Amino acid sequence: MIALKTTPLNLRHTQAGARLVDFFGWRLPLEYESGLKEAKELRCSCGLSDVSHMGEIKIKGKGTFEFLQKLVSNDLRLIRKGQLQYNLFLNQDGGIKDDLMVYNLGEEYLCVVNASNIDNVYAWLKEFKNDEIEIINESQSTSLLALQGPKSYLVMESILGKKLDDFKYMHFIQENVELKPALISRSGYTGEDGFEIYIESKDACFFWDLIMNKGADYGLKLCGLAARDILRIEAGYPLYGHEIDETTNPIEASLGWAVKLNKDFIGKEEIVKAKKNGVEKKRIGFLMQEKGLPRKDYDIYAEVGKTPPSKVSGGSLRPVDKTPPSKVSGGSIPVDKTPPSKVSGGSILVDKKIGRVTSGTYSPNLNEFIGMGYVSIDFSKPDTPIKVKIRDKFYQAKVVNFPFVEAKK
Amino acid sequence: MSNLKFNKSHEWVKVEGDCAVIGISDYAQGELGDIVFVELPEVGVKISEGSSFGTVESTKAASEIFAPLSGEVIQANNDLVNNPQWVNEDPQGKGWMIKIKVENSKEMDNFMDEVAYKEFVDKESQ
Repeated sequence: MIALKTTPLNLRHTQAGARLVDFFGWRLPLEYESGLKEAKELRCSCGLSDVSHMGEIKIKGKGTFEFLQKLVSNDLRLIRKGQLQYNLFLNQDGGIKDDLMVYNLGEEYLCVVNASNIDNVYAWLKEFKNDEIEIINESQSTSLLALQGPKSYLVMESILGKKLDDFKYMHFIQENVELKPALISRSGYTGEDGFEIYIESKDACFFWDLIMNKGADYGLKLCGLAARDILRIEAGYPLYGHEIDETTNPIEASLGWAVKLNKDFIGKEEIVKAKKNGVEKKRIGFLMQEKGLPRKDYDIYAEVGKTPPSKVSGGSLRPVDKTPPSKVSGGSIPVDKTPPSKVSGGSILVDKKIGRVTSGTYSPNLNEFIGMGYVSIDFSKPDTPIKVKIRDKFYQAKVVNFPFVEAKK
Repeated sequence: MSNLKFNKSHEWVKVEGDCAVIGISDYAQGELGDIVFVELPEVGVKISEGSSFGTVESTKAASEIFAPLSGEVIQANNDLVNNPQWVNEDPQGKGWMIKIKVENSKEMDNFMDEVAYKEFVDKESQ
């Protein structure tokens, strides 16, 4: 068995009563008390999370800009020193190798990548580099804290002892707090205002305690991975390994805004083609119309009109299942014994598989079950009725626009 | 001490005459985490010992609930459909799930009382 890596804050988490979980080889807090409560409280006041598992890769040397500009899908000319940008690394087929944040440090750039992709991305970057480019994996020596929520700026003002009115979203500053260096960006993965704080791992406990201390006046709560997953789904943000991977391209993933075609980059040809020819599937958000929790890899169906065959037999388009015992709550049973539900204009409506779920949750801020997934393009428009198959039953849902929960920025 | 009996799959049973109220234990709800969905059988359905009679879903996972006893469902706590968090908040009270007419009370022979169940849980969670 491979030993799980822990962050410098592991003891803080266990002391706070966290339920720990294995996350891509890291032992991280899933929740402290209740992920639902944590996700709700963060949107009311503020929350603190340890996300030190994220990867920090620094790129420096002569020609760094040109090197990175060739590898990312977004246009680095759009960010000045002191700004960050959402970006994608694509493979030659236009599939997403990783999604990341790029920080313009002036001469150098900092790439913040997903924990699951650190080694992969690091090796990939090295493939393209010349002798003048230096690529440094600082993930071990760097810790990352996320202070998020509408009151987080008050906590940060208290820590830095100054007003932050000029500190804009997607900008960052570099400060010393009691001689300990910190890179602080106004950014996050919750859909709320907030800060991401990069510090040296040896200082992690110092900053954690400082934030907890200053945050006490503003109702700061600890938030685990469960709350963060709920918050990012509510915000409509994709998660690598769920909504995006090497087999999905940015157009399908509704991330076309992070791809700029007025420059050259790896994977561009495929994106140009996808834009010209259109894509077959699209990432959507959906709201359940019946109580039911959609989970990753559940199938999505829709009713489509079909010319009635001479005799309905076998029901190839309907999943055939044993009749489960009748249950009290929602969901309809897709068995062939039920008569062809509706007949309209001479054609029978049958259930056809049109896609699959990539993420789903109960949203404590909406009090609704919500999800994301891919459906064939014909069913991707808002308000399109769809069905999610949960344990052999169909649950009604409808396609909705992102975000599910409006950001308060 | 409560008059509840527990089995090894973390359900509890409260005997009321020839009927029994059934739910999941405090330990079980704690392990499941935030419960957001409960699905129960309809009144009249026969359930048999050891087989699944319903589903609870937490934010983490879906779990089947297994019948500790055989019998016919005579009542289901349908309030849980709209208030699944009751299973977290009060698993051995408001979070009860079904009431059945007991078919064979011998099935209860190996159940544990609260003290024995607590020992069992302590051992299991070590």
